[in-house]
Amino acid sequence: MFRLQGSRVLAVDLTGDTVKAKNGSMVAYEGRMAFKKTTGGGEGLRGVVTRRLTGEQMEVMEVSGQGTCFFADRASEINLVSLRGEKMYVEASNLLCTDGGVRTGTSFTGLRGGASGNGLFTTTLEGTGQAAIMSDGPAVVLRVTPQYPLSVDPGAYVAHQGNLRQSFQSGVTFRTLLGEGGGEAFQIRFEGDGLVYVQPSERNTVGGDV
Amino acid sequence: MWDPMTLPADDNVNPYTFCVELKGSQWFLQKGKMIAYYGSIEFNGLGHGRLDRLLRTSFHSPLHASDWVVAEGSGKMLLADRAFDVNSFDLDEGNLTIRAGNLLAYQPSLALKQSIVPGFLTLIGTGKFVAASNGPVVFMEPPLRVDPQALVGWADCPSPCHHYDHGYMTGIMGGVRALTGLGGASGEEHQFDFTGAGTVLLQSTEQLMPELATGATPHEAGVPGAHPGPGSGHGQQSMPRLPGQLGDLQRRFGL
Repeated sequence: MFRLQGSRVLAVDLTGDTVKAKNGSMVAYEGRMAFKKTTGGGEGLRGVVTRRLTGEQMEVMEVSGQGTCFFADRASEINLVSLRGEKMYVEASNLLCTDGGVRTGTSFTGLRGGASGNGLFTTTLEGTGQAAIMSDGPAVVLRVTPQYPLSVDPGAYVAHQGNLRQSFQSGVTFRTLLGEGGGEAFQIRFEGDGLVYVQPSERNTVGGDV
Repeated sequence: MWDPMTLPADDNVNPYTFCVELKGSQWFLQKGKMIAYYGSIEFNGLGHGRLDRLLRTSFHSPLHASDWVVAEGSGKMLLADRAFDVNSFDLDEGNLTIRAGNLLAYQPSLALKQSIVPGFLTLIGTGKFVAASNGPVVFMEPPLRVDPQALVGWADCPSPCHHYDHGYMTGIMGGVRALTGLGGASGEEHQFDFTGAGTVLLQSTEQLMPELATGATPHEAGVPGAHPGPGSGHGQQSMPRLPGQLGDLQRRFGL
């Protein structure tokens, strides 16, 4: 059972079950807890190899026990997400904690990942349960419907879920080359049906200043 | 959870994110502050020929031109800046001066001019603008002395002047104190002094936003903040001060 203690600390009530959390993110616990380091995000040997190859590395520990465990990481804002079978895409660096019932994996994001400065691969979450996602400032959740596609700055993108197609939009023209660009030369365009999480802050991206 | 119907029009989504509604209208926007948008919105640099007429009425800061773009089209657009607090302010036939790095966006019904105080911009007219601050903004009334780092801007009152605490700065010991910090400098010897009627805007930390690289004042005689070009000035060398050098002490002794 995930709940927020303030907006920057995650409290997880455990009754003998297991959650996966970012390595070293435990700040306090009550009761009896066991922390076990896992390799490759707890995805087995295949996970170890894939994560090593793709550079989408994730240091994860398994926490199990009885009581309440508190997690936090560099005072980042924490957003709770409930998954009911759908797939969620999130950057490994933004993932704080997942339920034992949520499977993690890696997937190829293409040009979008390259532009957001996070590598060409992203982490996927699948299954039923809760996940805690971190963002710099509280994330804004935006709904995408077929009538209303959404464009997002790659530096502000955190995660998305649902049946979304993403394409890479570039506004680079000859004016950009002259230093007279629109300042928003690259965007990710989301179409379809789903939710997109954006943070009120921009990471430094390749196309950031164009 | 937000969609284009529920997003507010020209209002805050949360303390850190502001939503602008465009209906065929235009907004001036500092580069890179847009985080997401619905609808069809175009971002053009100020050098775009079509914007010439708009610039003539609402943008008078050639030195900041490369930091600003014009967003036009229809849809809703979210603005944010490094997870700082974001607020909108309405000006009604007024004027407001603000630190250049803190201003995110403004309506073209306002005119943007460079303040005579280096690093600040002045908005004149009627309309809405969006500004970021490190922590919530506090409004104060002059007469008032403020810490230079906490100042966000001021409205309707005359430009501030520097104020130095006297006791610290007089005599030889004062000079040594001012230069080296030895002998108990509190770090608060220098303030901005506001007088007259108006409002002063402060942020609740002393952490500044990074200064923008552009926006220096032109090298011209009589312009505050302009560094004297080579050959001008009164024979003062513009060498960087070395550690151990006495600095301005020599001037106190008339050397």
